[in-house]
Amino acid sequence: MSLHDHSVELRPKLVGKRVKRTEDPRLLAGVGQYVDDMAPAGMMHVALLRSDQPHARILNIDVGEAFSVPGVIAIYDATDLENEVRPAIPTSRMPDYYATPIWPLARHKVRYVGEPVVAVVAESRYAAEDALEHITIDYEPLPFAIRQVDAVKDDAPLLHEEAGTNTIIRREFKRGDVDAAFESAAVTVKGRFRMTRKTAVAMENRSYLAEWDARKQALTLYTSSNIPGVIRDVLSGCLDLPGTRLRVVAPDVGGSFGGKGSLYGEEILVCALARKLKRPVKFVSDRLEDLSATSQAFDELIEAELAVTEDGMLIGLRADVIGDVGAYSIYPWTAALETVQVVSFLPGPYRMEHYRGRIRGVLTPKPPTGPYRGVGRPSSTFAMERLIEMAARKLGMDPVAFRRKNLVNADEFPYRTASGIIWDKSAFQECLAGACAHVNYPNLLLERDEARRDGRWVGIGLASYAELTGIGSRISVAPGMPINTGTETAKIEIDATGAITAAFGIASHGQGLETTLAQVIVDELGCKLEDIEVKHGDSALVPMSSGTYASRSAVLGGGAATLAARVVKGKVLRAAAYLMEQSIDDLDMHDGIVTSRNSNCTMTLKEIASAVYSQMGRIPRDQREDLAASETYDPYLGTACSSTHLAMVEVDPETYGVKVLRYVVAEDCGKIINPMIVDGQVQGAVAQGIGAALLEEIVHDDQGQTVAASLADYLVPVATNVPDIGIVHIEADLPNNVGGFRGMGEGGTIGAPATIANAVSDALSHLSVSVETLPVTPERIFRMLQARRDPAAAVTD
Amino acid sequence: MKPAPFEYLAATSAAEAAEALAAANGDGKIIAGGQSLMPMINFRLVKPTILIDINRIAGLDRIEKHGERLRIGATVRHRMTATDALVHRHIPILHDAMHHVAHLTVRNRGTFCGSVCHADPAAEMPMMTLLLDGTIAALSIRGERQIAASEFFVGSLMTSLEPDEFVTWIDIDTLPPETGWGFEEFSRRHGDFALACVATTMRIVDGVACDVRFGMMGVGETPLRLPDIETLVEGQAISERLLQDVSEALKGLLQPNTDIHASADYRRHLAGVLARRALRDAWKRATFRKDGPDA
Repeated sequence: MSLHDHSVELRPKLVGKRVKRTEDPRLLAGVGQYVDDMAPAGMMHVALLRSDQPHARILNIDVGEAFSVPGVIAIYDATDLENEVRPAIPTSRMPDYYATPIWPLARHKVRYVGEPVVAVVAESRYAAEDALEHITIDYEPLPFAIRQVDAVKDDAPLLHEEAGTNTIIRREFKRGDVDAAFESAAVTVKGRFRMTRKTAVAMENRSYLAEWDARKQALTLYTSSNIPGVIRDVLSGCLDLPGTRLRVVAPDVGGSFGGKGSLYGEEILVCALARKLKRPVKFVSDRLEDLSATSQAFDELIEAELAVTEDGMLIGLRADVIGDVGAYSIYPWTAALETVQVVSFLPGPYRMEHYRGRIRGVLTPKPPTGPYRGVGRPSSTFAMERLIEMAARKLGMDPVAFRRKNLVNADEFPYRTASGIIWDKSAFQECLAGACAHVNYPNLLLERDEARRDGRWVGIGLASYAELTGIGSRISVAPGMPINTGTETAKIEIDATGAITAAFGIASHGQGLETTLAQVIVDELGCKLEDIEVKHGDSALVPMSSGTYASRSAVLGGGAATLAARVVKGKVLRAAAYLMEQSIDDLDMHDGIVTSRNSNCTMTLKEIASAVYSQMGRIPRDQREDLAASETYDPYLGTACSSTHLAMVEVDPETYGVKVLRYVVAEDCGKIINPMIVDGQVQGAVAQGIGAALLEEIVHDDQGQTVAASLADYLVPVATNVPDIGIVHIEADLPNNVGGFRGMGEGGTIGAPATIANAVSDALSHLSVSVETLPVTPERIFRMLQARRDPAAAVTD
Repeated sequence: MKPAPFEYLAATSAAEAAEALAAANGDGKIIAGGQSLMPMINFRLVKPTILIDINRIAGLDRIEKHGERLRIGATVRHRMTATDALVHRHIPILHDAMHHVAHLTVRNRGTFCGSVCHADPAAEMPMMTLLLDGTIAALSIRGERQIAASEFFVGSLMTSLEPDEFVTWIDIDTLPPETGWGFEEFSRRHGDFALACVATTMRIVDGVACDVRFGMMGVGETPLRLPDIETLVEGQAISERLLQDVSEALKGLLQPNTDIHASADYRRHLAGVLARRALRDAWKRATFRKDGPDA
């Protein structure tokens, strides 16, 4: 190899660098633009009268004196919109599934407290809310079963009569002969695990603005969505508008965590109203509406049992799960997204032959469940990792040694799990070792034991897991779902000024993808970072887009960016070869300058762009090409992102308050594009997972009312709840996709609940109680200890 | 979450505010910091016809020492109480308690007197006012009425203020320098409303506790002063046996609520735990301060 090749190798690359996020200056200086910042002339506001009943028939709606409020323009219920829209149907190819139609306003019946029933359109949100006070809805209350254990029964009142059942999802995974495995097992452990209902709580509430263009008979929806492309495609059907007359834009979006990753009735509503009234219509949900009508998460009851041999090998796992999916199946993911993932991921990163996992997804009169950072796996990892530590304890084995023995080894990849998921080569063992090394595990055990001698309740817990990220067209993100989640398109164009626009179908809403995708393009194309404008979050950018979810954007977006940049670079170098009278093989571009290894002549990208586009005849017409390319990437399979979390916690022996003393995450996300952004994702997701483990819980009382209706009652973690988090990046074998990236935005929320549950259980191990419900609040610890002392007083969760 | 329509008056004198409040016929609300009132107005739980802003009234923004009492004006922010030298020197337990009041942004706007008027049974300032034998000055066009803290809190978010009265200042006891104190609060997250809280003060004379004060919050419909516990501890040296007796006695004295954060049983348990801790602290501090508070 020549010297020159070494110099190419030594050129600084941006992938792998802590590049400061290019979106931050606008966001931090308050000049970002969110939906609520937009106020087109003539804009009207919507306020919604929401159901205060969990299940009731709508008998009559009386608007009373509502129109007397100055500024009120229109008041609608479902009957007024019957001919304006078609419902969205979250179809699926899954057998035994019923797709509940999604309408903008409740028709005939309401099915949860918080469901929109009446829309008031007014000149201001104030006037609209004043009008709401005049409107009364006459309901006939209907029977309901608020808990999933009741709703699943044959004689339970039906929420959707058309479905004929409340159980709209049934799925079973099995491999081998699990019952025989249990009969032969030396040790079995079992638990009844409950991950209570959560909600995402993004800083920006859901916000929508629809504008009707009378000239073009076209509609633009600005939405705080992380799936604007999916929304465009489904609204095209709901509103009967072709894509040329329907554009869906997600401007700056203040977080989603999954909560903004589904279609909402309010999105259909503002579009229908803007078209009907021919004026811009805005709806911004307030925090109460966010807590009571944004998609919620988890709420599974997992009865699971693990079989282990005498020498500590996992041989079998069986589980029966009832998922409380809420009142509707959500679009496009369906109610199967969360529920089915619980049983498909339950076997985890472990070698295990025999498995049977059964899930029933049950309708209850609560807000629909939907995507939430981690999807299904926070619950499955919680159950499985509790079982792992319970089994280790029963066997008298150290939980680390027990995991080491059962995690899939490097030479066993690709490994097909008992539920059929294929793990490509990922650092399962290395993450376990990395987390232990970071804290000096043997020393940490001594530290724990010494604290215990002082009467302190200190415990250590771990969780190892793997998730499937960057999934291509081979598998749907949610089973049997009607949309394509497996491809991503990048359209890169160099314009006549030499500036580069890179347009994607993704929709960054806090991930920093404008920065990371630009980093990828810089390395591939050889341009300057500041010359690239990354565009995203707009259905008009590429023919089909879906958005940012399911830890896909770095893998699929990064792959598409690489492919498109390669094509564009070829075009740049062909033009340069002609202009510089050099052989193309001798040319390369770096930092926006094309150089030749055989000459001192150079050309800037700007000069080349000018020559190609603006200097007529400079390049012969049969050789002239636009410096642009659009490439679509499909990684086909997904790639495993794996991790081990380890925490040390202390439980106050009197108040039962839990404090997280140490926390470490060792993770393998393949090639790291920007370590600063990866660190941020890990820290944020672990904080969210600590919230799920210790604080957050959506509670519905027996009357079906939501009890946690403000952030004084729905407790998200604050700075004092989150310790410093040690992060160990392990870059073992790169996955077999274009960039070598694995998706990593969700992992923290998957590992943290299980880790904290295990650490708290360890801290309480001398009292023979075990954490089976999250969040593990002081109240729950108090009740566990009370039940231990007096079994008769036990209250089940 | 937008308020119903209301009028707004920025009063420049106490008399003007009193007149406006009387004219509102019970539908007026006083605003100073707005940290409790604004959320209630936005939720439309409260729909005043007029908001009377007292921030521009001169002289209400001070903390002054009058004899053995500190007088806290109606627009004194939590932030000021938390950093005030008189409070730190003469009522160190109040200084400590301030660390538990919400978060910095709330403390910057919220007021001592506003918190007392809001009368949340799990908020610190109502309990401290009761513990420190506060006097609440209520002004109306009928004149000034001084209400003892023991007569002020009548229920959750309910006080004995008449609809046309508003608070202009609150007086509280300063404590003799040799007083020891204990303040123990437990909440789900730092700055949240307490699941239970104990505040206690005492001096040590001849080896036993005297002038014992014992207050609690978060465990009833109002902040509590518990004379039964004060009597139990008065004249005794703090011992594990005594602390056990206090825990037992509390179980019979308290009728806490159950809500989504804690059951009544857990709150009763917590009350005992926090009482033991607070009394131990108070005893320790009193022992130390008896020997030289400025040491």
